Amino acid sequence: MIRLKGLSKHYGNIKAVNRLNLSVSPGEIFGFIGPNGAGKTTTIRMMGGLLAPTEGSVIIGGVDMARRPEKAKKKIGLIPDQPFLYEKLTGMEFLQFTADLYGIKQDAFAEKAGKFLNMFSLFGRAHELIESYSHGMKQRLAISAALLHDPPVVIVDEPMVGLDPRGMKMVKDLFRTLAAQGTTIFMSTHTLKLAEDVCDRIGIINKGLLVATGTLTDLKHAADMGEVDLEQVFFQLTEEESAS
Amino acid sequence: MRQVVSLLRPRLWSFKNRGHAKKGGIRFFVFGGIGLFFWTGIFAVSYRVLVYFQRVEDIGDILAYKLLSMVLLTFFSLLIFSSILTALSKLYLSRDLSLVHSLPVPREKIFLAKWIESTLDSSWMVIVYTIPVFISYAIVYESGLFFYANIALALFPLCIIASALSALVVLAAVVILPASRIRSIFVFLGFAVFIILYVAFRLLRPERLVNPEACSSVLVYLRSLSAPASPLLPSTWAFDSLKAALSGDVRNSLFHAALSWSGAVFLAFVAVWAAKAVYFRGFSKTQAALARPFQTQSKGLNIFFSFLPGPARAVAIKEIKTFWRDQTQWSQIFLVGALIVIYIYNFSVLPLEKSPIQTAYLQNLLSFLNMALAAFVLTAVTARFAFPAVSIEGNSFWIVRSGPISIRAFLWIKLFIYLVPLLILSEILIVATNLLLHVTPLMMYLSVITVFLLTPGVVAMGIGLGAAYPDFTSENPAQSVTSFGGLMFMILSATYIGTVTILEAGPVYTVFMAGIRGHGLSYLQWAWVVGSFSVAFLLSILAIVLPMRFGRKRLLVSLI
Ligand SMILES: Nc1ncnc2c1ncn2[C@@H]1O[C@H](COP(=O)(O)OP(=O)(O)O)[C@@H](O)[C@H]1O
Ligand SMILES: [Mg+2]
Repeated sequence: MIRLKGLSKHYGNIKAVNRLNLSVSPGEIFGFIGPNGAGKTTTIRMMGGLLAPTEGSVIIGGVDMARRPEKAKKKIGLIPDQPFLYEKLTGMEFLQFTADLYGIKQDAFAEKAGKFLNMFSLFGRAHELIESYSHGMKQRLAISAALLHDPPVVIVDEPMVGLDPRGMKMVKDLFRTLAAQGTTIFMSTHTLKLAEDVCDRIGIINKGLLVATGTLTDLKHAADMGEVDLEQVFFQLTEEESAS
Repeated sequence: MRQVVSLLRPRLWSFKNRGHAKKGGIRFFVFGGIGLFFWTGIFAVSYRVLVYFQRVEDIGDILAYKLLSMVLLTFFSLLIFSSILTALSKLYLSRDLSLVHSLPVPREKIFLAKWIESTLDSSWMVIVYTIPVFISYAIVYESGLFFYANIALALFPLCIIASALSALVVLAAVVILPASRIRSIFVFLGFAVFIILYVAFRLLRPERLVNPEACSSVLVYLRSLSAPASPLLPSTWAFDSLKAALSGDVRNSLFHAALSWSGAVFLAFVAVWAAKAVYFRGFSKTQAALARPFQTQSKGLNIFFSFLPGPARAVAIKEIKTFWRDQTQWSQIFLVGALIVIYIYNFSVLPLEKSPIQTAYLQNLLSFLNMALAAFVLTAVTARFAFPAVSIEGNSFWIVRSGPISIRAFLWIKLFIYLVPLLILSEILIVATNLLLHVTPLMMYLSVITVFLLTPGVVAMGIGLGAAYPDFTSENPAQSVTSFGGLMFMILSATYIGTVTILEAGPVYTVFMAGIRGHGLSYLQWAWVVGSFSVAFLLSILAIVLPMRFGRKRLLVSLI
């Protein structure tokens, strides 16, 4: 469903992402983990069509992002780490705006918007200005907006930042449900617990390089460690890289 | 097109939602009142000038048409000036771009939506404030209704052309210049704007209007006045259309308007086509931040500010560093520099010797006028740089608040940091223009001292009101100038400058006339001179203390 082929991004001399090869199959939850500055956000921005890769390509559901960006973007629900919301719109107006641009029909919109607003307990405040929302509410609104068009691929950058425990649980459950329905989820995070809990497969990125991919068991194996948790694997794999 | 409309919708909705806000009423009246005041003023002046021209035999019409073409050329260059800056920020720097570009919308449609927005933003003000000029033409020339319709018909394509040309310049600049050098894009654009303003100004040759003798004979003068402007200039198309409409020649007028419209449509298509090719590439490029800024000499700054206590020094150094690293500030400095050069240049070409009015008198009058003008330039610069100084702290303001430094000290440091360069700037400005005006030594001393007194007041008002009406969440704090507080600052500062100038001009005129007539001043006149200057001095002190106190109080309250 998602394929990254030799994806690179250079900022001047910095190789923020370095020849990334990856593929994620339908219905899979892929966890993309790495320390701060590893290149997660840069990768996600390229996948979302916000940044042109220096080299390589992003293919979403068989559509090349560089060649047919609109078609590829239609398949994606993107939730950035710092989502932009028009502060002077109401929550409902913001949803309407994104729905219009995804070409969602008006009657379908009313139903979907209601569903998500309810699910994220935003319904009562849907007609208030976004600037009066708390950080977590804004985050939940951004998630609703991204899922409104039933995308087959969901790409999330650091989904848990700013959410309270209830919000976190909601998001986790949501991801599981979506994946069970066949949605592919690509999620970057440095919350290892989250990756351990929900991800089918995990990729570890460090300094722009993908250092390992696989299921949790694969990774433990690769790190040559016995019964340990992801945290230790993470430190092992990213530190080795840093030392070399 | 549906998608383009959808993309423009948040702006409309935001506008509508803002309308519902509670305290909109007072602001609306203050803004509206001031706007109306300026509008009427422009109308009155242009009406009087036209009536005056009508009375001049033979060349009255020629002068009026010359003025019309100058107005249109100025209009056009102002439009280019403002739309280059708006296009750059709308197309590449606006914060909503990361959302919009992730939506499944073709890039050229994003461009189109942003470009339409930028066109409206950059032209409405210019249109609103030039319309009184055209209306006075309509009244003086007793033109029919067609002329009024023609105003819109001729001006809209001009706006579109200016905005499309600017968009093309911006699109090209962002792609051509290396990405790691966003700063050079700004310098490049600043330079482009400077050239445009300069060329436009030279094309106008305003000194010709003042000084007929520059031409060898009246005939040459007339010819130079009525010489048509280049037919390649879009403003000429609008001019021809309006001129024909003034004399009731509907067919000719429509022809030139059509020419203008076809140019506008063509350029809009070119811009969209260019955007399709390069807009995304440029957008992607502009996101790469400069990893390594200029190495500012921290050690040097540390030594320079060693007289300050620790926390104050830290704030001062931070202020200077972030200022130099903020690229938008750079471009603005460049533009301000360009405007000042043009301003000074204006004086150097004024043909004072040829004027029939008594020169010494005129020079004194001009130097007072110049003093006020220089102070207004200072106000504009302060509004742009010092007024947003508090807002610019944005989300980082908590560091200052939680640090071991009082708000009072914080504001005074800000004042000091902006005061030093602005003082130097305004003194240079006043001395240079006074030298060009050949003012008397008395006036030179007086202006230098007055500016020295005025500047701290103006900057303090900027900092104080900026602190009183801060906007930490703004997309672009520099834009807070157009807010309520910004407007208050402009009004207060203009009032202050006007009052001080008038307080000084009266007594100086008396002294001056007494000097010419050769007799001394009476006691009463002395008292007046001394009284006036003392009041001016007192005002200058109050202008520093009161705004700073007001700013601190309001800032403290707003932080609770
Ligand atoms: N706009 C940018 N300009 C220059 N360098 C950048 C930019 N964005 C990110 N980088 C650099 O690219 C690398 C990867 O950053 P990022 O993708 O944001 O990391 P992560 O999201 O994994 O924390 C970092 O070294 C960062 O400094
Ligand atoms: Mg990140």
